[in-house]
Amino acid sequence: MTHEATQITSPTKPSEILLHLGPQHPLQPGPFLLDLKIEGETIREAELKIGYIHKGMEKVFEDRTYLQILPLTDRICYLASNSNNDVYCRGVEELLGIEPTDRAMYLRVLTNELCRLQSHLLGIGEYATDVGFLTMFIYMVREREGVVSLLEAITGSRLNHNYARFGGVANDLPPGYKEMALKTLGELKKQIKSHDEMMSSDSIYQRRTKGVGVLTPKEASELGVAGPPLRATGVEYDLRRMEPYLVYDDLDFKVITQNDGDVFSRVKVRLLEILESIYIIEQCLDQMPSGPYKQDVTPYITRPKAGEVYARIEDPRGEMGMYIISDGSDKPYRFRIRGPAFATAQALPPLLLGGYVADVAAIAASMDSCTSEVDR
Amino acid sequence: MAIFETIMNYLVIIFASNQFAPWIRGVLGGLVIGAVFGGALVMVYLERKFLGDMQSRIGPNRVGGRFGVLQLIADAIKLFTKEDIIPAKADKWLFVGAPIVALTSGFLMVAVIPFDYLYINGNYYAVAVSRMDISILYLEAVSGLAIFATFMAGWGSSSKYSVLAGFRNVAKMIGYEVPLGICIISVAVMAHSLDIVEIVEAQSSIWFIIAQPLGFVVFFIALLADVGRIPFDQTEAEEELIAGWATEYSGMRWGLAFFAEYLHAVVGSFIVTLIFLGGWNGLPIVGNLYIPGIFWVIAKVIIVMMLFIWIRAALPRYRIDQVIDIGWKVLIPLALLNLVWSTIIGLIWT
Repeated sequence: MTHEATQITSPTKPSEILLHLGPQHPLQPGPFLLDLKIEGETIREAELKIGYIHKGMEKVFEDRTYLQILPLTDRICYLASNSNNDVYCRGVEELLGIEPTDRAMYLRVLTNELCRLQSHLLGIGEYATDVGFLTMFIYMVREREGVVSLLEAITGSRLNHNYARFGGVANDLPPGYKEMALKTLGELKKQIKSHDEMMSSDSIYQRRTKGVGVLTPKEASELGVAGPPLRATGVEYDLRRMEPYLVYDDLDFKVITQNDGDVFSRVKVRLLEILESIYIIEQCLDQMPSGPYKQDVTPYITRPKAGEVYARIEDPRGEMGMYIISDGSDKPYRFRIRGPAFATAQALPPLLLGGYVADVAAIAASMDSCTSEVDR
Repeated sequence: MAIFETIMNYLVIIFASNQFAPWIRGVLGGLVIGAVFGGALVMVYLERKFLGDMQSRIGPNRVGGRFGVLQLIADAIKLFTKEDIIPAKADKWLFVGAPIVALTSGFLMVAVIPFDYLYINGNYYAVAVSRMDISILYLEAVSGLAIFATFMAGWGSSSKYSVLAGFRNVAKMIGYEVPLGICIISVAVMAHSLDIVEIVEAQSSIWFIIAQPLGFVVFFIALLADVGRIPFDQTEAEEELIAGWATEYSGMRWGLAFFAEYLHAVVGSFIVTLIFLGGWNGLPIVGNLYIPGIFWVIAKVIIVMMLFIWIRAALPRYRIDQVIDIGWKVLIPLALLNLVWSTIIGLIWT
């Protein structure tokens, strides 16, 4: 398989139709255009066209001071806003040569995992509607509500958290947080187990998803796919384990993998990762040291020394990286984002070939791409 | 209950004395169509409310008090006042005709549905607009008209999504009308009649759901596919084909198309009730209490509707090729097996 951008050819046979899926379609989390050449219901060629909501964020960042960029990183993808804050702060901290305090590191891991929880919950929910399972969507959104409330209690906002700071975090845990979190998460754990049972044991669901949209480890690495879609192919690739950052070294967790690389495995990985994230959060709450949650002196006007840095973390959707070049002024000289959703989006057309129109919904949703991040 | 008995008898004497007079059929037809129309409205409301409960939502709760009973009126006003769009490239007559055909097929089916069977002054009278000797065959034939509606809409809209949905619907219907027909034949064989009234009367001792459970399962699954409900709603799978064959419709035309589907679901519930669930034959649990047959019919119809809604809440959607597979490779052999079974039982029974 070659992975050059393929141009779709116009239909030659009378049985072939060119179908434009998008830029407005109920399947999509955001606008993109998927051109399909179909013969009957079988997909012969597929081409993905992006750029409908391009925001030019990287260029915008070059014209903002380091602190001004911080809230904007939320807007790269609203489901991963916490991770985006975190990866940006890690980059700038490395440029500045400072380290977050111990408590701040635990708080960041905690919010990162909560962020992963809510992203996975909504991802599975949207995916469930796409295979016609509306009830599961509503259950998932209901469970997500508790997680979002937990995030809101720490960060003060539900979507764009803007929580991490250079060398620390914005604020400490509210009083009584641990009990509240353990109660919500215990309930969530039970619910997720029952939802997993409800989905995985359903024969219609299995027939819809097993062996559909199979991604092999080789293709995945060629296309740059990371995160749950890669782990679903059996590759144990998780930056939290491969290149431990913050306090992931001190925490006990499994890297969830599945072997088939199909739609079923990708969703299964997410479901199991939810349970694993809950376990990580419980450890964080137990082990969290007391102490300051931020540096004594937070530099408001940040002028890092000239240099360059590439910081990366395990986003809910894969590997999120930011490449920052500093020229010693208060604004970055060059800013580049390596988003996980972009890689998963470009893996979509090859997966669709030979499948049915009905598989588009299942495959696209199981990749859990995010148009806002693709078109950042 | 004595008062019901009196009222029913009184009404029936008026109607029965003129059972075949044209005006009485007209009145009865109007009443029955109104009743089934109302039934479809009830189903839409039930679906929203019941589905809401099952999905831990509230459902309609603003228009018409806490339970949102007037939500449908609000929806109807909205649909009536919306702009009626006919796409420039659409085939106008096919496009306009499709919802009408869909609704007509639903209403034609209503004509032979009996609600009760009354014994008055030594005669039996079926409470139906029209009693035919071959009413079950007629029902099957008329319900097939609905395929034309979806294909007309799909082709006439000149939209690719609509065309795909039209193709899907035709493929699905061809596969599922066959097991549906075979199950109806099994029932007819067991009851020794094609007349629905006699089929129901044949169930006075034992309902056909008990006599041929396999037939009931096959019939119910095929019926789900026939009325296009989850897990067989591929023709309007939102995430694949937007709104399927109704993609290009707007305003009241869309309303009619939407309503025709519910009408088919209601009539489908009636058919299940009549040919498998014993129709107006009550359960012995009520003892000597007199309950008019029509109440049994309506209660059973509502239970079947609830079953439709429950299935919708509990299952995801099949892929279209799997649907066709199930139709041809699973349901038809099972339906044939059931035909053999019911023939043997039917022979022994008499």
